[in-house]
Amino acid sequence: MIGIEHFIVVSAILFVLGVLGIFLNRKNIIVILMAIELILLAVNINLVAFSAFLGDLTGQIFAMFVLTVAAGEAAIGLAILVIYFRSRGTIAVQDANRMKG
Amino acid sequence: MDFGNYLALIAPELLISISGLVLLLVAAWVGDSAARPISILAALVLGVACFMVGPALFDGASGPDTNAFAGQFRADGFAAFAKMLIYLSGIACLMIAPAFFERLGAMRAEYPILILFSVLGTGIMVSSGNLITLYIGLELNSLAAYVLASFLRNDGRSAEAGLKYFILGALASGILLYGMSLVYGFTGTTDFTLIRAAMTLELSTGALFGLIFVLAGLAFKIAAVPFHMWTPDVYEGAPTPVTTFFASAPKVAAVALTVRVSLDAFGLQADAWRQIVIFAALASIVLGALGAIGQDNLKRLLAYSSINNVGFILIGLAAGTPQGASAVLVYLAIYVVMTIGSFVAILMLRDADGNYVENIRDIAGLSRAKPLIALILAGMMLSLAGLPPMFGFWGKFVVFQAAVQADLILLAALGIAASVIGAFYYLKVVKVMFFDEPAGVVQGRSETGHWVLLIGTAIIVSPLGYLLTIPLGLLADRAAVSLSLLP
Amino acid sequence: MVDLSQYLPILIFLGIALALSCLFVFLPMGVSRLTGSHNPTAEKLSEYECGFPAFEDPRSQFDVNFYLIAILFIIFDLEAAFLFPWAVSLDLTGWPGWITMMIFLFELIVGFAYAWKKGALEWE
Repeated sequence: MIGIEHFIVVSAILFVLGVLGIFLNRKNIIVILMAIELILLAVNINLVAFSAFLGDLTGQIFAMFVLTVAAGEAAIGLAILVIYFRSRGTIAVQDANRMKG
Repeated sequence: MDFGNYLALIAPELLISISGLVLLLVAAWVGDSAARPISILAALVLGVACFMVGPALFDGASGPDTNAFAGQFRADGFAAFAKMLIYLSGIACLMIAPAFFERLGAMRAEYPILILFSVLGTGIMVSSGNLITLYIGLELNSLAAYVLASFLRNDGRSAEAGLKYFILGALASGILLYGMSLVYGFTGTTDFTLIRAAMTLELSTGALFGLIFVLAGLAFKIAAVPFHMWTPDVYEGAPTPVTTFFASAPKVAAVALTVRVSLDAFGLQADAWRQIVIFAALASIVLGALGAIGQDNLKRLLAYSSINNVGFILIGLAAGTPQGASAVLVYLAIYVVMTIGSFVAILMLRDADGNYVENIRDIAGLSRAKPLIALILAGMMLSLAGLPPMFGFWGKFVVFQAAVQADLILLAALGIAASVIGAFYYLKVVKVMFFDEPAGVVQGRSETGHWVLLIGTAIIVSPLGYLLTIPLGLLADRAAVSLSLLP
Repeated sequence: MVDLSQYLPILIFLGIALALSCLFVFLPMGVSRLTGSHNPTAEKLSEYECGFPAFEDPRSQFDVNFYLIAILFIIFDLEAAFLFPWAVSLDLTGWPGWITMMIFLFELIVGFAYAWKKGALEWE
């Protein structure tokens, strides 16, 4: 029997994978975009699972908004990446160092 | 309440979104030659929106009459105070931009439209009464801001700033969302009032995790330590008018949102978040002050200054009282004026080839080439450091007062001690400008619009600003009460 | 809890389909390998008359135009996700729901018009 806790665990694992994907990734910025999508999917799993578990539709509506906003975010991310690639000629993570902090 | 009343409550948002869409089509059909008229129209729209939120601000509107769409949107006095600041800083950022971008040959008609949409998002953020509204407002603001950061498409630094802002901003909203999903799951609702009601008893572990994740996500947005690392790079790389915008409108919105979420939705669990806020406040003050040491880029220096100032704002939040919320609003108002003034002053510094000067070495001896700009920039620096004759001191004073009255005496004492560290570096900038050998780099004349803005902010930041303390305090008190604070 | 056993027929069907299609592909290959003479020559391995040799590395970069179209596609595709729940609940939401969706679609059209006018849909 699959209960709510299983969903929370899956979503927590996905979330941690996404966050690690952003911080441990040393190669390609596209991978970072994928990791961000992974985080948002973890959130959506959480929302839909809670929504079904609570018998309350709000979570599913929320998931819908997250989904569409994530699409806009991915589009803008890709667009900025294209600009960055044009001005720099690379999308490797270690090259994003023109400013040091 | 019927639909018509709801529409009246969201009138400023409706006005901004409709004019944004219309101006977008104008921009597409007429092209970049219409950039200046569109900027002026956008500033006019924001001016009208200021008048629309005026009544709610001066009456301190509160209660169920200010709730639209079943509590998803709140047009109360608190939101009106924040929106007034946001709209005014939006107008300032529209005023300074055309001259800056035209000199670089990069003025595009999309800039004022992106500012409008970003301002719209911040307005929705501060008015949100529901986690979904919060998220939509936040993303509307952020998505426009990512594009603004990389607005100079051919400049490598601008593109890199946009990329960094995008990645860390998206991570922040992911963390925030994950927290919101946990809060929803463990309280069964997304409405702030109902979340508050569901959190009366001891917190479950899941809800506690949700609360911490939400606060961490918001800390990212307001650039509080330990989630501040994006700020210096983004502030340095983004075009200066855009940096001015980032340091004002979205910061006001994120701080106001944090105050609303902490005091309203999580208001009965103050013990759960107070420790976090106190830690973030002290860490921001200390790291903001220490990080400024050794910076030689003025915009980077101001980025660390904004981290430092957010720390003081969080001290007001840590008090967790209506007085604390009022102090936060007063501080925000003063901070916005100071930060706009400083960035406008930097914007006016150009070398003989017309390039913008951002390096501290290049402004050595500025007092001889440009005495008025040097004087005002020095005043802004002293005010940002919170030294007494300047108005910036008043913001720190009310925040510390609120903390002391909430029995956070140790926090207030530590904050005062740490603000002394910060003063050191600002004084060094003043010394470079007034007592070093002139570098003779800064030349050229500045636009009238910049002068108007610079002198206006300078008058408020100067000791004359203390004339404003009583009306400002009164409005902030009313706004804070309308936050429906229950002790 | 969903009863997974009701999907068992579909699983069996998919299993059989997979097995059969594998059989159809690999059986002739195996039989011909066993029966015919296996004698590849350069002439035999080259493309047929109708095909032509690959003239560039298949792993080369995409034209940036593909990215542009993909970006626009993502946006307009996922906004359509709102239409499904709206359509099935229209009898509950009534005229306010209808008007709201029309406003939303109008905003999408404004965005589309902007993209069109800016030339984002042109290939060159």
